[in-house]
Amino acid sequence: MDAYHHTDAWHSMGMAVATAAQSPDDPRLARLLEHPALWRGRSATRSSAVPTKFAALDAALPGGGWPQVGLVEILISRLGAGELYLILPALASLTQRLEARWCAWIAPPPEPFTERDHARCPLEPFAPALAAHGLNLARVLIARADPPLWAFEQALRSGACDAAVAWMQRVPVRALRRLQLAAERGRTLAFVFRGLSTRAVSEPSAAVLRITVQPVREGARIDILKSRGSPRAAICLSLHEEPDAATADGAAGRVADRVADRVADRVAAPE
Amino acid sequence: MRARPQRTATGIAPRKRPAPQLVSRNAPRTEQRALPFLEPRELWIGAHLPQLALEALVEAHSAPEPHVPQRLAVAELQGSSQCVVAANDQAARAGVRAGMSLAAALALAPELVVLTRDPHREQALLERLARSALDFTPRVSLAQPDGLLLEIKGSLQLFGGATKLGAAFLKKCRTAGVHPKLALAPTPLAALAGARYTAWTAPRAGEAGLVRGGSRFKVTDESRLVGALAPLPLAVMRWPPQVLERLAKIGVRTIAEALRLPRAGFARRFGTETLTSLDRLTGRAPDLRRSFQAPERFRMRRGCTYDLEHHEAILEALAPLLESMEKFLEARQRGITDLECRLWHRHASPTRCVLRLAAPAAGGEQLQTLLGERLAAIALPEPVRSFELRSGRLVPRILRAESLWQAGEHGGGGASSQSVDLIEMLRARLGNDAVYGLAIHETHRPEAASRRVEAATAKPDVVRSTAAGWPAFRRPLWLLREPEPLTESNGMPQRRGPLRLIGEPERIETGWWEKEGSIARDYYQALDMRGVRLWVYRERSKPHRWFMQGVFG
Repeated sequence: MDAYHHTDAWHSMGMAVATAAQSPDDPRLARLLEHPALWRGRSATRSSAVPTKFAALDAALPGGGWPQVGLVEILISRLGAGELYLILPALASLTQRLEARWCAWIAPPPEPFTERDHARCPLEPFAPALAAHGLNLARVLIARADPPLWAFEQALRSGACDAAVAWMQRVPVRALRRLQLAAERGRTLAFVFRGLSTRAVSEPSAAVLRITVQPVREGARIDILKSRGSPRAAICLSLHEEPDAATADGAAGRVADRVADRVADRVAAPE
Repeated sequence: MRARPQRTATGIAPRKRPAPQLVSRNAPRTEQRALPFLEPRELWIGAHLPQLALEALVEAHSAPEPHVPQRLAVAELQGSSQCVVAANDQAARAGVRAGMSLAAALALAPELVVLTRDPHREQALLERLARSALDFTPRVSLAQPDGLLLEIKGSLQLFGGATKLGAAFLKKCRTAGVHPKLALAPTPLAALAGARYTAWTAPRAGEAGLVRGGSRFKVTDESRLVGALAPLPLAVMRWPPQVLERLAKIGVRTIAEALRLPRAGFARRFGTETLTSLDRLTGRAPDLRRSFQAPERFRMRRGCTYDLEHHEAILEALAPLLESMEKFLEARQRGITDLECRLWHRHASPTRCVLRLAAPAAGGEQLQTLLGERLAAIALPEPVRSFELRSGRLVPRILRAESLWQAGEHGGGGASSQSVDLIEMLRARLGNDAVYGLAIHETHRPEAASRRVEAATAKPDVVRSTAAGWPAFRRPLWLLREPEPLTESNGMPQRRGPLRLIGEPERIETGWWEKEGSIARDYYQALDMRGVRLWVYRERSKPHRWFMQGVFG
């Protein structure tokens, strides 16, 4: 590319951003943004996304939803924190497609996380409730594996799954890397639920997206720890109601932002 | 055409032209009359299984306590009422007969154990008998629904005559728990008719003495066939009931009487099929029977000159066997769903490694991968000396075209082979029960509403949202296998601290007509101290205990 032209483009872009920052619809800015040499953080996630069906979360996630391919790490303080309601709308839309592949549940919930007695009395996915949330049960595959890592990697690698969900207490960092590569190879959206701890938060991770879910008084608080192309954010969602009623209004958002700052201070940034 | 004695239209051979006598060791020499002995072209053993309906069910039913004499009967719905199809000896002694209504049978024997007829098992038993009959002759054919035909002309020399062969076959049947009636005749239909007649006249338990002791139907001379058939009642032909009824009205009850009727008129009145079957009976028309083919299986054993200890080495040694199996299946365009690999050791009993596949497969490499997974989970007691590969039943393979798009691309590759491969891969390592799908069962009881099903067979059904009549968020996503009892304080449930009940209660009660697992509960959603939403209930009956049954995700 012509060097002069290049600098010119940068120069004019800087001006344009300065003048038209308030109006992203400005045609001049739009023309500039089409420039191939221009790199923006958000444009890194050019790949398609699966909407979460929660407006506030969609807005905070790059591409407007869960990535269609890749590993999503969800750190939960305990089982039943609302984590499954978070991903259920996306799973439902994936399984309802005409040529849907499997939606694999690996080792549902295998380990006690923090509540020891869940292990004593194993939990079974309740089919009527899943169907009521729109999941196409014909595409659901459940595999009880202990340890789940091998089965999870097979499911991701095989290319037979649109989505795979696994529950693991501890995942080695190298295993996460393997899972991410397997998910890319099989073009699968992989969710891994793991226990939330300070150590787990500070660990580096190869996952495309990393969030924590904690139950709060009404619903759950979601902190985005890592995502490709979006800043950290915190969102409060009311998960036990219809998704449309999610609190995406200003007040909740402002509270969440303050919370996010506190979390950001406390947690050492992995990247 | 073969030269044969001229016959009249009625089928009675004239007593003329003595043909050169053919010598046979089976020829009945006792009653040599003017009739020449005609060596038949074929010799058929007809086996009639009068108690097939019972025998097919009994082997499974009476297995736990075989020595307890039970009155057993098999019933089937005929028209609008249940009819007894077969009864065992104990039941027959009480007067239960095939053909009587079930109500009448139960009135005669109130403690009668009634089984429901299962045609599939009857068919399976018949095929099993046919397979064992293949030991005697390659020409075995099934005579549906309860007969078997063996062409034994070529096997007489080997087995030392028809009597010995028949006895050997009978013995084999008895070990299988089946008691057939046999008859010998030059035509298949005559053999069957004879066998049915034998079964008919055999002394039955409870009525011995009324009927003369079992007659035997054995014809090895073609010229005597018509004479032997003559006294048989027409019912052995199994013609349609209306035909038999009309024949009875004009006074025709035996085969001889039917043979005496003019052919043209007989065909006009009772149909050409009836005449054809009469011709086949006497050997006038050819009777072609479809031979029974035993289902093929692959089985191959290979020994080693050295001990194999490592799984990789075993797998490598298995590769040629798998390759030849692939060729075997390829040539037949078939696949297998069951594969057993047996590993023999020097002292220890052989190790079995069974592979069950979700879909028919034939590829050697795929099977090798799966076998490798399964073998890795098996601990070998000793080094392997030799190994064997046994396939299950061959099933038709479903060949699919590959999708243009890769899986996941543009919505491509839905239920491709990969999805089946994944299930098999997981099953090979985790076991068959560990991989399953989910299905809804229509019931009010939450613990029975969700069922495990075979994942590969799950059909894409219509998505039913809140079909059960409750909002989606009223039910938990996780259900405990067993409800967990909760402690109580001041009438409120406790689980590591007090539970806060939220929302409206929901009452779930089963109807009074449902005796099994009847419940009467008031369900609540409850928040525990950590903000986890639980599904708890309080029993409506005393002592009103609290239980936790589910966790909202």
